[in-house]
Amino acid sequence: MTDIVAIIVNGLVYGSIYGLVAIGMTLIYGTLRILDMSQGSMVMIGGYVGWWALATHGVNPLLALVLAFIVTFVVGTLTELVSVQPLIGRRGEVDFEMVTFITTFAVGILLTNVALQHFGPFQKNVPPIVSGNLDVYHGVSISYHELTMAGVSVLLMGALGLFLARTRWGFAVRAVAQDLDAARSLGVPVSRLYPATMGLASALAGVGGVFLGALYFASPTAGDLPLLQALIVVVLGGLGSLTGTLYAAYLVGLMQAFCEVEIGTTWTLPILYTAILIILVIRPYGLKGSPSEARL
Amino acid sequence: MTAALDVSGLVAGYDRTVVVRDLSLSVEAGKTAVVIGPNGHGKTTMLLAVSGLIKPMSGTITLGDERIDGSSAESIAGKGVVHIMQGDGLFADMTVEENLLMGAFVSSSWRGRRETLRRVYADLPVVESKRDQKARTLSGGERRLVGLGRGMMRPARVMLIDEPSLGLAPVAIEAVYAAIAKLRAESGATVVLVEENFTHIGGVADVVHILETGSIVRSGSFNELSNDRTVVETYLGSITDVTT
Amino acid sequence: MTGTFSGLSTTRWLMIGSAIVLVALFPLVYTDPYYMTIIVTAEVVLILNISWNFVLGMAGVWNFGQLAIYALGAYGAGWLMLHQTWMPAMIAILCGGLFSAAISVLLAFPTLRLFGIYTSLLTFSFAQVVQYVALNDPRGLTGGSYGYPTVPGLFPNMSQTSYLRAYYWVFAAVIVASCLVVAWLRQSHLGIALRSIRDSPGYTAARGVNPRMTRVIAFGLSGFLAGVAGGFYLSFEQSFTTSQMGLTPMSIDVTMLVIGGLGTVMGPVIGTAIVTVIQTILIDYPGWQLTILGATLLVIVIFVPGGVVGLISRTSKRVGAWVEEDSDAVEAAET
Repeated sequence: MTDIVAIIVNGLVYGSIYGLVAIGMTLIYGTLRILDMSQGSMVMIGGYVGWWALATHGVNPLLALVLAFIVTFVVGTLTELVSVQPLIGRRGEVDFEMVTFITTFAVGILLTNVALQHFGPFQKNVPPIVSGNLDVYHGVSISYHELTMAGVSVLLMGALGLFLARTRWGFAVRAVAQDLDAARSLGVPVSRLYPATMGLASALAGVGGVFLGALYFASPTAGDLPLLQALIVVVLGGLGSLTGTLYAAYLVGLMQAFCEVEIGTTWTLPILYTAILIILVIRPYGLKGSPSEARL
Repeated sequence: MTAALDVSGLVAGYDRTVVVRDLSLSVEAGKTAVVIGPNGHGKTTMLLAVSGLIKPMSGTITLGDERIDGSSAESIAGKGVVHIMQGDGLFADMTVEENLLMGAFVSSSWRGRRETLRRVYADLPVVESKRDQKARTLSGGERRLVGLGRGMMRPARVMLIDEPSLGLAPVAIEAVYAAIAKLRAESGATVVLVEENFTHIGGVADVVHILETGSIVRSGSFNELSNDRTVVETYLGSITDVTT
Repeated sequence: MTGTFSGLSTTRWLMIGSAIVLVALFPLVYTDPYYMTIIVTAEVVLILNISWNFVLGMAGVWNFGQLAIYALGAYGAGWLMLHQTWMPAMIAILCGGLFSAAISVLLAFPTLRLFGIYTSLLTFSFAQVVQYVALNDPRGLTGGSYGYPTVPGLFPNMSQTSYLRAYYWVFAAVIVASCLVVAWLRQSHLGIALRSIRDSPGYTAARGVNPRMTRVIAFGLSGFLAGVAGGFYLSFEQSFTTSQMGLTPMSIDVTMLVIGGLGTVMGPVIGTAIVTVIQTILIDYPGWQLTILGATLLVIVIFVPGGVVGLISRTSKRVGAWVEEDSDAVEAAET
């Protein structure tokens, strides 16, 4: 019984943070039709902002989150302008998706190495947003930090949902994702929408990075694992499907919690990746993607 | 008098394929110009170039006294060009109401969108009855009406309508053309309507242009052209099919 | 002299021949062991890049699992070298190549039905699984995080100068041979089929080309070469760690391919050379290396997508056209 509670509790916590990071990737894929390989770097940057704000300047945690949001929003927007926007007019010449995979990947490398240059290779301790633990059930405890992390993630994802469902620009984002030319003919300024969307997606990952920093330290390569995990979630959920990503995030979170509790941490990732392999062979469009997106 | 829309020497196409060759067309304000032509000869390409979705290779397009060729689609839309696309261009996963609201996206129209929505619903009760359904669940005729409704969600200086009867059963086509007639009457917009054949256009056309292999080869009133044997035989097969 | 032989003019063949002779004579005049080691290592990387360029650039398949296949070749060859000591090292390496080819062929099948991004995810996940399993090494096959145990290598009893030369020549021979094979394949039925499939799959299928066989062959050939490269690496460096399959070497290799010109015959050679030079100059500043490489990758992909080879062919076409214009003008003036 303790096991089950531990799996559920941890699974929900992991799921929430995966959701936050992965939903950005899905948002970007839905609108720009690219896989943003720099998303991991945004988590890394968030971690460093968290360290800078909380460890060295004792800033109010809420402010640290807002700061991370702003910084990664800007970096994400710039990334789009530098590595995606120049290629948009040339869709006929080059294999757009592959090239942007490489360019966003290159930006990720750049950001990692700039961080390496500036902060050095050693990990930095990021203090938790809230300290202390909560006992949930015999021996199963959850830290307030993790609780806050899950709470904020759910809040942000909910906010994103509302934004998309109720606001003018939210409509515009959905429109662009569903029919680009129709959206343009209705006056949607896509050349401004694209960088802003990527900025928003990066900002969500950045906020996630502040939380993850306390759990996994801030370091130049802190974004590598979250990137891989986000990819798993996004494929499982179906590229471009926001609800799919949400379900997948919690599914993967629970799977990870299960593996950790029952099998041991070393095998979690390879098992997850093998699961992806199998999914890609049998049902590449994932839980809720559309078959036409994946199959030739 | 300045034409509402003037296209001059337009050359347009995709990548290296030229589809529209030296096309010139002028439409007076408030009038409806119907462009008829076989498939693949450039009707849709012409409209895409006017609304800015594709960039013209050469030639000029003028809206009133302002040149719009080379401008982005979004800025052209902002100037009052409404393009009702072939195949509807509806947002499949959005509801009918959301699709309509998107029609008012342009900032000047957004604030008054609820009011405009009420008017469009009044004009198109069929659309209102489906307001909460996702666009992808609608029939062809219903989608066409939603597309028209969406076009009516903002004031149009020029409205471009691409093959409104495409793929529809006769009953649906009648409903669509009734809506177009209502649209013309209420908005006084300049309309460029593209169709593949003569049926149904008699009631809406102020002038008819025939587009073949990328340029306009003949123009005239509906009566003139429908009484011309060669035209009728090319586009209808026999005189008896012409309806007024 | 403008006779043709196998599609190239005699002048071209003379140029290639002299280049080969220069390359072969090089280690007889230059013996600095530090730089020779760098050059020989670069040769192995080049072999890997040639194999990767074939499937990524020419066949246009988003295969991001090539490094795992390379590693599997190394592990295969290594196992044979350690446990089947009667087998000559070169045969072990070739067997490692066959093992890699087989795995690569298996990987080919699911990719046939998937769009680009999904293929990249599939192959990427495959690479991750291989890397994790190798790292955790449940059966003591890969050396885990310590790296593969030492193997005798190809030339176990030679002096340093001698074995550096020996490796250099063996690798150079493989490089020259594979470049020639790739160039030949490129304008053979297989090569044309691959490029057709890459550029317009529907049309190619309609013309009766069997995409499955073509892709399987492409994967098989490139897998074989990658596996051999792995075996070479293991023999020369006397070690093989799982970091060889990681994101960093992958980024560096991609940069090499893109800078040189993805999908061209000489692209990998030029790209590997340029990046190795940059790496050697900046050997004391690893952070700067990667920053510069990342920035270069970005700039090249956006502004010069054809890489150096693309740039050269475009410039030579422009020069050629300009020369022709000039000679036309001269002719016109003379009449």
